[in-house]
Amino acid sequence: MKISKKIVLLGHFGVGKSSLIRRFVENTFSEDYKVTIGVHIFKKNVSIPEKGTDVSLVLWDLEGNDDISNTRLSYLIGTHAFIYVYDVSRPATYKNLESELEFLKEKQKNTPITVVGNKEDLVTKTYLKQNVDDFGSLTDLYVSAKTGHKVDFLFSKLAEALI
Amino acid sequence: MNQDERLSILKDILLTDEREYAKKVEEKLKIVEDIVNKQNELSERVNPIIDEKLNDFVVEIPKTLGPTITETLKSEIRNSQDAVVEALFPIIGKMIKKYIQQEMQILSEQINSKVNSTFSFESLKRKFKSKRSGVSEADLILQELAQPILEQIMVIEKGSGIIISEYSKTQSIDQDMVSGMLTAIKSFAEDAFEKENQELSYIEYDNFHIHLQNFSSYYIAVIISGPYNVMYKSKLEDKLLDFAKNYINEYDIKDTKSFTKKLEQYFKNNVL
Ligand SMILES: Nc1nc2c(ncn2[C@@H]2O[C@H](COP(=O)(O)OP(=O)(O)OP(=O)(O)O)[C@@H](O)[C@H]2O)c(=O)[nH]1
Ligand SMILES: [Mg+2]
Repeated sequence: MKISKKIVLLGHFGVGKSSLIRRFVENTFSEDYKVTIGVHIFKKNVSIPEKGTDVSLVLWDLEGNDDISNTRLSYLIGTHAFIYVYDVSRPATYKNLESELEFLKEKQKNTPITVVGNKEDLVTKTYLKQNVDDFGSLTDLYVSAKTGHKVDFLFSKLAEALI
Repeated sequence: MNQDERLSILKDILLTDEREYAKKVEEKLKIVEDIVNKQNELSERVNPIIDEKLNDFVVEIPKTLGPTITETLKSEIRNSQDAVVEALFPIIGKMIKKYIQQEMQILSEQINSKVNSTFSFESLKRKFKSKRSGVSEADLILQELAQPILEQIMVIEKGSGIIISEYSKTQSIDQDMVSGMLTAIKSFAEDAFEKENQELSYIEYDNFHIHLQNFSSYYIAVIISGPYNVMYKSKLEDKLLDFAKNYINEYDIKDTKSFTKKLEQYFKNNVL
């Protein structure tokens, strides 16, 4: 029997949640911005050769929220893993990173959170190093939906960790 | 006033004006210079704000203006009901007529094909039934065609929307996505109406009726096509409750295989 896992993507408006999913599921990217309203559901099978099995990732693409406490809590129930996305080029999207993550941890106690800084293509490596104090220590991965940098890596690592 | 005095006054006037004029020009120039210098910096600072405001705007519009627009439209329609009816009547009439024509055609095609397959087992059964009950064969066929059809049963974990078990005669849809979406809709509706212990129990989608039977840690979604009515609903409910109560235990919920086996056995010969 196949295994399915619920993954929820959260973060501010326009940080690239939908773009990351589109890059992962369809391997495409678009410059124009279509706001997500409510929630969209996507799915992709990931095979994990080391464990000789398949996982079906059911991805919940939530609408962006500048304040995580406005998120519809019932969407979070039963989640197997969160991906919290911010935009490395827009400080407003990570200035409350720590407290937003606290909120999430409190609402869903045992659910792992992966923190990713998206739009890595827009900034330099030096910039990322300089901003370590702001988000560096909390970030698990820098990714880019545009170039595809580390996007597959993100999801396949997650799938593996959930088995 | 002598010549000198006049000259000095004239000078005064001219020079003051000139000075002031020069000053003004200088000020203006400085402003322009500032703008030119700062524009890049400014746009850098302002663009994200504008972007963000625009995003907010796009999101807020349906929330704030939506109801007003709907309300206005509603009252407009209410106030000029006659005109609206006048305008819509021919179109609706045509649509209904066309729809009925098409449906009748499909129906008669189906009846014909059923009658034509005289040698099928079903039709033999029908012939007997017709003789026995005195109901005409065509009426029996009509009755058969107007039955609700149970297309699919999905047992879905609450919250996560992950499928625990599933049973269908024809597999055509992506169950993981459907069960996720059903769960999201359910969560949304239950959140939005904020009535405690009130659970969404029915969704109509396209030509399908989706019956949702809620249990504590999971719910069962039954997708039905054809005419779905109160009688069918209550029979379905009885079946689902009986199934959950008498056949399913807490271990089945964690054991997809066993759940599916029981589901299949119970609903394979569904006589609803
Ligand atoms: N340069 C660059 N642009 C990106 C990247 N990812 C997304 N974008 C752009 O950012 C904008 C917003 O992307 P979305 O994926 O719609 O953002 P979102 O987080 O889903 O937004 P909401 O649904 O409103 O919360 C779009 O114009 C994308 O093209 C990236 O990695 N690099
Ligand atoms: Mg989106």
